[in-house]
Amino acid sequence: MKWTAADVELYQKEKDYIDTALIPLIPITMDDGAKTAASGGEFVQLVAGELERQLKGRVFLFPPFSYFLSESRQSLVERLTDWTSLLMEQGMKYVFYVTCDREWKGKETAISDRLWLVPAVPLENMDESYKYELIRDQTSGLLRFFISQWS
Amino acid sequence: MSDKHRVTRRQFLNYTLTGVGGFMAAGTLMPMLRFAFDPILKDEAGTEMVAVADVKDITTEPKRFDFKVKVKDAWYESEEPRSAWVYKNEKGEIIALSPICKHLGCTVDWNTDKEHPNQFFCPCHYGRYTKDGTNVPGTPPQAPLDRYEYKVKDGKLYLGKAKPRGEA
Ligand code: FES
Repeated sequence: MKWTAADVELYQKEKDYIDTALIPLIPITMDDGAKTAASGGEFVQLVAGELERQLKGRVFLFPPFSYFLSESRQSLVERLTDWTSLLMEQGMKYVFYVTCDREWKGKETAISDRLWLVPAVPLENMDESYKYELIRDQTSGLLRFFISQWS
Repeated sequence: MSDKHRVTRRQFLNYTLTGVGGFMAAGTLMPMLRFAFDPILKDEAGTEMVAVADVKDITTEPKRFDFKVKVKDAWYESEEPRSAWVYKNEKGEIIALSPICKHLGCTVDWNTDKEHPNQFFCPCHYGRYTKDGTNVPGTPPQAPLDRYEYKVKDGKLYLGKAKPRGEA
């Protein structure tokens, strides 16, 4: 499911079956790291989109949780924890995150245990077929991660 | 604005004529290229069929082939990924199944559920289908997997639309 009117309508009908939320965590910066951040964000969105295509009957892909890299980590963790509790209260049994920002790995295990980190790759100079392979590869990794968490 | 930057009528004609000439040359080249490289066929109804596999690679074991199709929505045309599970049945006929689960649309996999070998398995709510795509009663899906329309030409398998069983 995606955040579109048509999918939300289906979600409301089939709520019992759609118990997993996926939130992309997208870092923003306008300084020297901007291009790397943008490229990472692109990759995350491609992988998340492909995963949604393959597991759309159970996974709801949410609009990204976006933030500036200069924001305080602690407030970001709080905000993301709030999002997560809201979704759980609304009936989601699992909430997962996908990101290119390694900062999320580490301290907060409540978050990092449910986090999939895509590698940093310069997609923009990449050959189409190689890019496609890479997205497939990451998607199937993420897919196995979901399936292992479900069972 | 200086004179240099003004496009005179002559220049303008020059530009446009080169443009048209180039376009015409491209016009004569394009059909040949299209003929030589474009992997697209049309069926009787004019829908495009895409080459997805060499027939010699198709065995009696379902294999997944990935391909892309052009789709148009309200705003723009884009390419979308598609997959098909393809095999030959006992009669030697090609069967190309859509991997989209008839329950809520997840992608099914072949032979991944250890307790039920040689079936299509949906990881989302454990829907199952037998090899020919028939849904297994008691699992969530209420209909068999769709089948792609197909054509074989010059040793290649072309797939068209996926249709509910009985229509394809
Ligand atoms: S989407 Fe396949 S069983 Fe529910």
